[in-house]
Amino acid sequence: MQALIPDYRRDLEIRRYPIYVYVLVPLVALVLQAWLPRLLGRFAYMDLPLLVTVYFALNRRSPVHGTLLGMVLGVAEDGLTQGAIGIHGIANTICGFLAASIGIRIVVENNLIRMVLNFAFTLLSSATMLFIMRALLGLGWQTNWLDEVLRASGNAAIGLVLFPLLDRTQMRD
Amino acid sequence: MESFFSRYRNLIVLLAVLLAQVIGLAVQVRKPLVAAAGAAGGPAVHQTKDGRGVLLIRLWAASLVTPFERAIHGSGEGLNGWWNEYVDLRHVKDQNKDLQQTIDRLRLEQAELREDALQGQRLQALVKFRQNYIYQTLPAQVIGTSGSRQSHVIYIDRGALDGLAPDMAVITGDGIVGKVRDVFPHTAQVLMINDQTSGAGVILETTRIRGILRGNAGGQPQVINIIADQRIQPGEHVLTAGGDQIFPRGLPVGVVEKVQQDPERGSFINVIVKPAADLQHLDEVLVVTSLDAHLSPQQQADLQTSEELKGAEAAADAERKKAAAEMEERLPGLKDPNAPNAPAAATVIGPDGKPVPAPPVTPKPLPAAHADRFTPGVAGSNATSGADSGLDVPDASTEGNGAAKPPAPKSQSNAGQVKSAPAKPQTTPKTPQFSGRVQ
Repeated sequence: MQALIPDYRRDLEIRRYPIYVYVLVPLVALVLQAWLPRLLGRFAYMDLPLLVTVYFALNRRSPVHGTLLGMVLGVAEDGLTQGAIGIHGIANTICGFLAASIGIRIVVENNLIRMVLNFAFTLLSSATMLFIMRALLGLGWQTNWLDEVLRASGNAAIGLVLFPLLDRTQMRD
Repeated sequence: MESFFSRYRNLIVLLAVLLAQVIGLAVQVRKPLVAAAGAAGGPAVHQTKDGRGVLLIRLWAASLVTPFERAIHGSGEGLNGWWNEYVDLRHVKDQNKDLQQTIDRLRLEQAELREDALQGQRLQALVKFRQNYIYQTLPAQVIGTSGSRQSHVIYIDRGALDGLAPDMAVITGDGIVGKVRDVFPHTAQVLMINDQTSGAGVILETTRIRGILRGNAGGQPQVINIIADQRIQPGEHVLTAGGDQIFPRGLPVGVVEKVQQDPERGSFINVIVKPAADLQHLDEVLVVTSLDAHLSPQQQADLQTSEELKGAEAAADAERKKAAAEMEERLPGLKDPNAPNAPAAATVIGPDGKPVPAPPVTPKPLPAAHADRFTPGVAGSNATSGADSGLDVPDASTEGNGAAKPPAPKSQSNAGQVKSAPAKPQTTPKTPQFSGRVQ
C-alpha cells in the first residue's frame, strides 16, 4: 500500500507533452479505432480514445484537462457512430475526471496499477454508457457483458504497451 | 465567491461539461407520443436527423477521420511495397543472406499475388452479380468503421458526389449489408443489419412468416416480433420482404441459426439469423442507387423477344377465335340423335290453353348390342309376351328413335321379379351381370 502513495516530488510532478502530441495522439487513436475493426473484425476488443484519455488524465494530474480531453474524444467517437452525440462523451468525461483525480493520489507508473486502472475505467465507461442509454434516454438497449469484460481486458493489455511508448514523448526539464 | 470557484473549479467544470452534454442528448432523443407509440412509456427513439442533412458535429468527426482512413486504405499497397523494398535493400547489402532473401521475397510476392488473385476473384464475382442484377448499383469500398462495439456502422468511399442518398440499400453478392444512413461529400455511413437500431422487413422462405430484422446485443441479426411457431427450424433461408421501400424483395439475408424465446414476451420468439454476407470482413459492397429496372443489352433483347412472341401468340389466338365464330355461323348446328325431340314436339298445350313446360328428360342408357333378360327395361316388355323364356328382346320401335318412353309400372315390378327369380334356376346366372350397364 505504501508503494501506491506518492512520497517523492517526482511522483507528484505534472507531466508535460509537446503540443503536437496532444493533437496527433488523439487523432491517431480515433483513426485506428475506426480502422482496425476492419482488420480484426469482432476481435477488436479495445477503446483507444478512452486509453488516451486515461493516460493524459493520469499524467497531467489535472481534472479539468482530463474532463475536457475526455469530452472531446468522446464526442468525436460519438460523431462516428449513428447514435446520439454525447453518450461516449459523458462516459469519457467521467473517466477523464476520475483518472486525473486518482493520478493525484497514487503512483501511476507501476504497470500493474496502470493495467488495473485501464480495466476498471473501461468497465466504468461501459456501465456509464449503458446507464445513459437505458436509464437516462430510455432507449431499448441490450449489452453483452462478456464483450465488455473482453474489451476491458484488451484495453488493459494495450495500455501496457501504449503507456510506456507515450511516456517517451513527455517533455523533460 | 472567488474562493468558492477556485476551490471547486474542477467539480464545476465537470458538472458544466456533463450538463452541456446531457442537454445535447435531450435535444437529440425524443420520447414518442403516447398515441403514436401505442402504449404509455414506450421506448424512446433517436431522431437525430430528418432525412435532409446530418449533424454538423458528425460531419466534423467524419471529415476528421475518414480522410486518414481513405489515405490508409489507398496507400496500403504502396506502404507495403515501400516496406518490402526497404527490407530488400537492406538485405541486398548482406551478400551472405542473398539466397534466403530471394526466397523470402518470392514468398512475399507469392502471398501478394495470392491476395491479388483473391481480390480479383471477389471483384469478378461482384461484377458478375452486378451484371445479372436488374437494379442500378454503384460499387464501393469499405474504408472504416465506427470504432464502437455498440454501433455497427461502416464507412464507404462513395458519397453525395457519387449520387448516394440516405436510405439506399447496401448489398453484396452474398446478401444484404445494411442501408446508407448519413451521406458526406466523399464518404457515406452505412448502418449494418446487425445494429440494434437497424430495421429491415424480412420473410422466412419456407414458412412465409414475416418479421423485422435487427441486431441484438451480441451483434447478430435477429428477426423479432414473431409469434412462437414450431415450423421455424434452423437452416431456413431468410429473404428481404420488400415492404420497407429500401431493400428490393427477395434478396438473401441469411439462414436461421437458432430460435430463442423472447425473454420479455413469452409468446414471442427471436429468430437468430446467420447473415449471408460476411459483415465482419467487408471489402467491396454495392449500393443500390435506384430500384428502377436496369437491364443489360442481352436482358433487353430477351425481354423484347419475349414480348414479340407473346404478341404473336395473342394475335394467333384471336384469329382462331374469329375463324371459329365464322365457322359457327356458316355451318348448320350439329344435333345429337339421342337428344330429346325438337321443342315443338315437347310443347304441350294445357287445359287452360297455355303451354305446359315439358317435364325434365331422364337420360336414357344406350341400347345393348345383345340384350338379354338382365338388360334393364327389357324384362318388363317381355313380361306379358314371353316371361317364361327369360330372354329380353329390345323393342326396336322404342330404341330406334331414342325417345323417352317411361316403362309401365307393371313392367318395373316384373323386372324386380327377374332380379330375384330363384324359381327359374335354369336361366339364372350365379352373379348378376348388369350392374355395370345400368347408369
